[in-house]
Amino acid sequence: MRNIVIRCVSVSKGVSEGKALVTNQPLCLYDSLDPKSGYIVNRRHELYGENVAGRILIFPYGIGSSTSAATILEASRCNKTPSAIINLKTEPILAVGAILAEKLYGKTIPIVHRPETNPAEIIKKHDLVRVDADAGLIELIGHSPDLRGR
Amino acid sequence: MFLTREDEAMLNGEYGQGPEIAMSILVKLGDMYGADRMLKIENVHIDGAAYGWINDAGLELVEKLSSSGARFRVPATLNPSSIDFDMWKELDIPSHVAKKQLRLAKALKEMGAIPTWTCAPYQYGADLRFGQNVAWGESNAVGFANTVVGARTERLGDLADVCTAVVGKYPNFGLYLDENRRGQILFESDKLKLDTFDSADYGVLGFFVGSVAQERVPVITGIPRNIATDQLKSFCAASAVGGSVALSHLCGVTPEAKTVAEACRGSKPEERITIEDNELEKTRQKLSTVSEEHPEVICLGCPHCSVQELVKLACIMRGKKVKRDVRLLVFTSRAAKTLADDMGAIEAIESTGGKVVADTCWNFVPLDAKTLMTDSVKMAWTSLSKFTNVALGSLERCAEAAVGARL
Repeated sequence: MRNIVIRCVSVSKGVSEGKALVTNQPLCLYDSLDPKSGYIVNRRHELYGENVAGRILIFPYGIGSSTSAATILEASRCNKTPSAIINLKTEPILAVGAILAEKLYGKTIPIVHRPETNPAEIIKKHDLVRVDADAGLIELIGHSPDLRGR
Repeated sequence: MFLTREDEAMLNGEYGQGPEIAMSILVKLGDMYGADRMLKIENVHIDGAAYGWINDAGLELVEKLSSSGARFRVPATLNPSSIDFDMWKELDIPSHVAKKQLRLAKALKEMGAIPTWTCAPYQYGADLRFGQNVAWGESNAVGFANTVVGARTERLGDLADVCTAVVGKYPNFGLYLDENRRGQILFESDKLKLDTFDSADYGVLGFFVGSVAQERVPVITGIPRNIATDQLKSFCAASAVGGSVALSHLCGVTPEAKTVAEACRGSKPEERITIEDNELEKTRQKLSTVSEEHPEVICLGCPHCSVQELVKLACIMRGKKVKRDVRLLVFTSRAAKTLADDMGAIEAIESTGGKVVADTCWNFVPLDAKTLMTDSVKMAWTSLSKFTNVALGSLERCAEAAVGARL
């Protein structure tokens, strides 16, 4: 079977591969992400208890606080950022976080948005995903083990 | 993106290292969002003024800008700090946090920041006019600037606000452009008894509107022209956490939205919603995890209390005592506290056992309690990582719960 490929628009460049963490619920990183550990600490969010570090984080868009930019930057300083982020629409606040992380710590966080189909409907938790923000492509490389067995 | 000679010069380091860093960050952001040029802005409200929010990474950047000699080119007000500068020890704020906050305050003030330390700068300290291009952070303040005053601002991310103050410009995209200020979803409030609404009710309404509108610009009809500024503050704060709302057109209140047609800039709204009482009741239940009101901590002032709110609370509570097992904390700006103090309101509140805290946010005060009561929808929604249960009630109900009696 060929890998599923979704075209999208690049916000912040770079290429990254990892296991997916997926939600359809908008996410405010400031009150939901503990930047020092990478854990989602907001009990009102369905990703509560998950760790975003090194994951391909898929959520529709960010809401709420301006502080999310600094949250991403601090997560970057602590090496706890997602390895890439996929949104339906990326807010400038998140983009600022990525720009700062690159400027201050030389760390790139590929971010893409405006996918041609909603990746949350195709990609499930733990699926192996490759994000090529340079080319504007999301690639589903492998399904998570629990689905493979079905 | 088109850059002027001055923009280019900053980008090339001709104005020093600070403007070079700041401009490179903002130009990159502008390129990402298709801005055609850098827009001159008239003032900035800096959200990233608390060490607790911008952390070591943010402190590093601000100190780097300041020590390189960068100075703000436009007036810049500050959002709350991590400490009440007068009584952080009394509030059990750790001294390592206070030390870093003092470093951050020094660096910001060296660059020329106006030390307002408030999330409601539109009430005390900031300058806003209809049609003015400004660059603000802090979601409630962004909502207020766009919705109530009709100034124009995007929602700035932390540290992008500091960079903007350094160069006096922000990329021209989003809510600076007419087409993005067009109302898209219409809410009709005819069925609501808005004349009986208090600030907390307007918070519930704002949260509902935000959660339905999400990324779209809402238009709301039927808002009374004599709505109080504090009620608008509550509405704007809640709509920003319920969705991503940075601009609401309140017909007859918002200067650029005298009518629905004007709010929608000639086109038709994509969707029309009649707000029912029961929808707001459902929203209220979602925000309040407990109906029983036996809170250990009661917090008011998210966003910061105005002088009027402090005076109102003082009048309600005068001569009463806060229950021994309850902690009442009231958050406000230094400016409002000073004025209210001159009116005797601070002493009146504190003689009941309550505490009026300035310069900072409830986020930074160790509260060590399971159950919270607040009149703030924003706090009710965002504080659940700290509390097990939250009760939402009006300022009067919060005061009653504090003293354990109907007032």
